[in-house]
Amino acid sequence: MPLKTVKKDAADYLTLEWVLHVKNYKLTLDKTRCVGCQICSLACPKEAIKTQKQPKTQGEKAKRAKVDIDLAKCNFCGICDVTCPYGAIKVALNGSNDLPLLAKETYPQICRDIKVDTRQCDKECTECETACPLSLITVTRTGYDGKPVENLQALTPSQKKRVQINLNIQKEYCPTCRVCEFKCSPGAIKVKKAIEGITTINQEKCPEGCTDCLDVCPITGALVLGEDKKVHVNQLFCDYCGACKNVCPVDEALTVKRTSIHHTPVHSGTWNKALERLTSTADAAKELKIQADQNRRKAVAKRFVLEEKIK
Amino acid sequence: MSTPETQKPEEIRVGVFVCHCGLNIAGTVDVHAVADYAKTIPNVVFVKENRYTCADPGQEEIRKAIKEQKLNRVVVAACSPRMHEPTFRRTVAEAGLNSFLYEMANIREFASWCHQNNPVEATERAKDAVRMAVAKVRLMQPLQTIEVPVTNKALIIGGGIAGMNAALDLADQGFKVYMLENTQSIGGHMAALDKTFPTLDCSICIEGPKMVDCARHPNITIFASSELVKVDGYIGNFKVKIRKNPRYVIPEKCTGCGECKDVCPIEYPNEWDMNLGTRKAISVPFDQTVPLIYSINKDYCIECFKCTEVCGERQAIDFNQKPEEVDIDVGAIIVSTGFDVYEPYDMPLLGYGKYPNVITSMEFERLILAAGPTGGKVIRQSDGKKPHSVAFIQCVGSRDKNKYPYCSNFCCMYTLKHVVQLKEKYKEDVEVYVFYMDIRSPGKGYEEFYDRARERGVNFIRGRVSRIDEDPVTHNLTVHSEDSLLGQPIEIEADMVVLATAAIPKKGSADIARILNLSRDANGFFMEAHPKLKPMDAPTDGVFYAGACAGLKDIPFSVSQGSGAASRAATVISKPTWKIEPIISVIDEAKCKSCGVCVDKCPYGAIRLEKPKPAQIITASCHGCGTCVAECPQHAITQMHFTDAQIMAQIRSALEDKPEEKILAILCNWCSYAGADLAGISRFEYPASVRAIRVMCSGRVNREFILEALRLGAGMVLVGACHLPFDCHYISGNYKMKARTDALKNMLTKLGMSPERFRVEYVSAAEGIHYAEVIKEIDAHMKALGKEKIQAENAKLKPILENMLKRKQQ
Ligand SMILES: Cc1cc2nc3c(=O)[nH]c(=O)nc-3n(C[C@H](O)[C@H](O)[C@H](O)COP(=O)(O)OP(=O)(O)OC[C@H]3O[C@@H](n4cnc5c(N)ncnc54)[C@H](O)[C@@H]3O)c2cc1C
Ligand code: SF4
Ligand code: SF4
Repeated sequence: MPLKTVKKDAADYLTLEWVLHVKNYKLTLDKTRCVGCQICSLACPKEAIKTQKQPKTQGEKAKRAKVDIDLAKCNFCGICDVTCPYGAIKVALNGSNDLPLLAKETYPQICRDIKVDTRQCDKECTECETACPLSLITVTRTGYDGKPVENLQALTPSQKKRVQINLNIQKEYCPTCRVCEFKCSPGAIKVKKAIEGITTINQEKCPEGCTDCLDVCPITGALVLGEDKKVHVNQLFCDYCGACKNVCPVDEALTVKRTSIHHTPVHSGTWNKALERLTSTADAAKELKIQADQNRRKAVAKRFVLEEKIK
Repeated sequence: MSTPETQKPEEIRVGVFVCHCGLNIAGTVDVHAVADYAKTIPNVVFVKENRYTCADPGQEEIRKAIKEQKLNRVVVAACSPRMHEPTFRRTVAEAGLNSFLYEMANIREFASWCHQNNPVEATERAKDAVRMAVAKVRLMQPLQTIEVPVTNKALIIGGGIAGMNAALDLADQGFKVYMLENTQSIGGHMAALDKTFPTLDCSICIEGPKMVDCARHPNITIFASSELVKVDGYIGNFKVKIRKNPRYVIPEKCTGCGECKDVCPIEYPNEWDMNLGTRKAISVPFDQTVPLIYSINKDYCIECFKCTEVCGERQAIDFNQKPEEVDIDVGAIIVSTGFDVYEPYDMPLLGYGKYPNVITSMEFERLILAAGPTGGKVIRQSDGKKPHSVAFIQCVGSRDKNKYPYCSNFCCMYTLKHVVQLKEKYKEDVEVYVFYMDIRSPGKGYEEFYDRARERGVNFIRGRVSRIDEDPVTHNLTVHSEDSLLGQPIEIEADMVVLATAAIPKKGSADIARILNLSRDANGFFMEAHPKLKPMDAPTDGVFYAGACAGLKDIPFSVSQGSGAASRAATVISKPTWKIEPIISVIDEAKCKSCGVCVDKCPYGAIRLEKPKPAQIITASCHGCGTCVAECPQHAITQMHFTDAQIMAQIRSALEDKPEEKILAILCNWCSYAGADLAGISRFEYPASVRAIRVMCSGRVNREFILEALRLGAGMVLVGACHLPFDCHYISGNYKMKARTDALKNMLTKLGMSPERFRVEYVSAAEGIHYAEVIKEIDAHMKALGKEKIQAENAKLKPILENMLKRKQQ
């Protein structure tokens, strides 16, 4: 029997399914989280994902590129799920998101390295909560009695001192843009970007009045409109997802160059290729070389220990 | 006869032997008159009458006369050549004469028996038959039987149960066997079955050991994941090209340990499981796979190289493997490519593909199998629960004029197997219904098995199912049918429906047919050389069939055919050389203009052309139909023993006297000549105005034969052929003849010939009565037209025809 496959394209989500007799593979793309960036289409080993530029209507803001997944090519490996900076794709087997891909170490986990030291927090501050461009942070307070604090003002200064601040960050959807870190004046949050790189705009090539990149950028402050009425990049906040690149109307005006990706250790051809596509051949080679050096060092050390023992 | 060509042409000395056949001939035909007449024919130097020429004394007379009278040509006027031609060939050869210097005049089936009430005309016809035979025999040349060396190896295409049995039988007899299988494992459908009827023994338990035997046998080489690319050559000498498709694992290095499968992160639907379950991107389709070599499916592999890593020093994985072509030589080929199962997506009323709980029998087979994707649990796709009522529906697609008109042979029996299994597994817990048209259980122990199903309390309902509905919430099904025994409509609620779908010709059969020059029947299964007497022989010599590929068969039958085909193949490859009848075609290289027409028209692909060299006939592939001879625009091809000159001589001889009162019939050996024989054997009377000439195939009939007959003033002309579309003994000679004669008839009618004067008739070997009717009709038409009209038409036609024939002769 030809495989039973289902594809549903609704307003808020896109789902792909393989329906086998006792197994169900399902991929869900949450369109409310998808920003139309470049990452999944580059990471996919089967070239199953395509981003399509959306037509722009005069006088309106540019629309984010649309992500479409080819059911005939997708094999539900889950790489897009793991790589998406915004956590917009989920792949599940019989409802469970435990991907064999990770269990068998064929693909690394992308590190969302966010350190929070709430002891430094100002008890009244909710700056990060409002600053997060994706509204992923909620700040809660617990009193000395372990109960949530409703009204901070009602507490005595000593009670206030003993209030604990909790930051709830929905990490799986966090693109590590560092906006919260910079907005936090006491420096309670430390974020390490998952993807490093450089985005440049050659303003000379930008058409008059075009702000398409800015229109689609999901991170407030990563792109800013300068006094010259041209868009400028703020490397500090840019997460190098490339959503802007997908809509830029001029070929050489905007470049997004990713140089490295922070991930858990892995030894896998799939990752090497994905890395090469996401960064560049040279950058991927760099990572491989570092890995090889490490391996060599380890081997030498092992030998050394062995020789010592023999002695 | 080794007269060197430099000597002056030999003197032709014909001996004519007129047989009485007791009173069979002599009772009607005036045999003495025939004998006396024979003496007057030029070149006839000896005439002898015999009571029974075929009996030993009769044959002795021939041998004696050849020696004493220095005869160098022999005509036996007796029965049909289809009866005793081989006998007298031997007789002549025993006397030292080349066996192709003899001809038969059929004066029994074609004279005494079919004109019993008209002895005078019967005698006239007999005299003419002798004269025509002498005319032909005069021009006959000695021919040598051709012997070709034989490669004593065999190729088996398709490693199902039929192919495996053929391979093992041949290998055990000491022959080298190559087994070609286009999937990753041999075993065929049987390897995917749970149990087999009627004994319910575990399918893989009985087939598995045979698969392993094939892999281990020193005389068997298995090419799995491989396909047939090309076959050249002929019986005893096939040159086969096989393409080994890459599996990205090196067969010699893979130990089959399966460690790679464990580390592979990717799964994809397993076709072997009817896509009910999955397999890894590097895997074998099922545990008992033979040969046990893993394969990577690059469509799904994400190239993580975890498998390469774990395979380690064995180094069995090679991502750069390329397709590889292998050439092998074999003497015989067995085709055992089996069948496919119909998937009824195009029968929307049954809901297959739409309703999750409607499955096919093949899928049921995988569900109830302990090693299957559900671990042997029959459960519904919609909710994973066990069904409490199951309806089995028979003949889905089979015996259906709009789909597959034939009976698929084994569905009744496997459904009985399924219901017995289900009942014995879940007992009272499950209610079982079978909707059937007829239950067909003709094998050994099969009817008893049917009883077993009935004893288990299965409900059998006779009727064709019209529709299945689904409750969209519970996904339960309602089967609508009629109970044709009660004559009432009936509705049954069922949790699951199993469709016994038709077994259909294997995908790719058309390619195999093209490569090997096989024909297929109206349903698409391979056609036997003779459905009854040569059920395992293909029309191409040296090619044989086994199993379901040539018509559906269950396992016991497929196994027997495997052994049968092995034995048929052994008749070829056990010999050092193979003899081929010399009645084949030969190309005159000087005349050939390399146009390639013959290459297209030869039904056997026996002609090779490498422009600009002249075309070449592969002697051993030529079946001697003569189609190419009739088609060649340059008249560059001659069919030995049926040369243009010989047949023209027969035509002229037949029309020597009162041509406008004669029907000139050219009949093909296998159908129409045999039909005419049968008319005689059955003593059907028909007018004696007909003069018949035998050719091997109607495809041989040149346009010039017809033109010449009409030029000579023939009253009527008939070409007899095998029925369209599939009866032609040479695959498609009748089609080629039809195209040619349709155009010719058109032209002749335009030139002023009454259309009824030239007729093509299709007569099978069983249609004696039809032949008699046809001759009666033609004779009536001839009488109705009248001699004057015919002569007038002929007078008008003659100069045009003469012109056309003259042009052709140049
Ligand atoms: C659901 C179901 C249940 C059945 N149950 C029973 C039962 O209980 N008892 C019973 O007696 N019979 C049963 N049968 C029938 C049985 O399956 C057949 O009789 C048997 O499989 C025929 O064997 P075969 O070797 O002719 O063909 P197949 O089993 O079809 O084998 C053909 C082989 O040739 C290969 N092949 C095909 N084309 C090519 C090509 N071009 N090149 C190379 N290789 C090729 C195929 O891959 C396959 O391996 C059942 C059938 C079905 C559908
Ligand atoms: S390379 Fe392909 S086949 Fe090998 S383990 Fe990885 S996904 Fe599986
Ligand atoms: S057309 Fe007939 S006679 Fe001619 S080569 Fe082919 S098989 Fe032989």
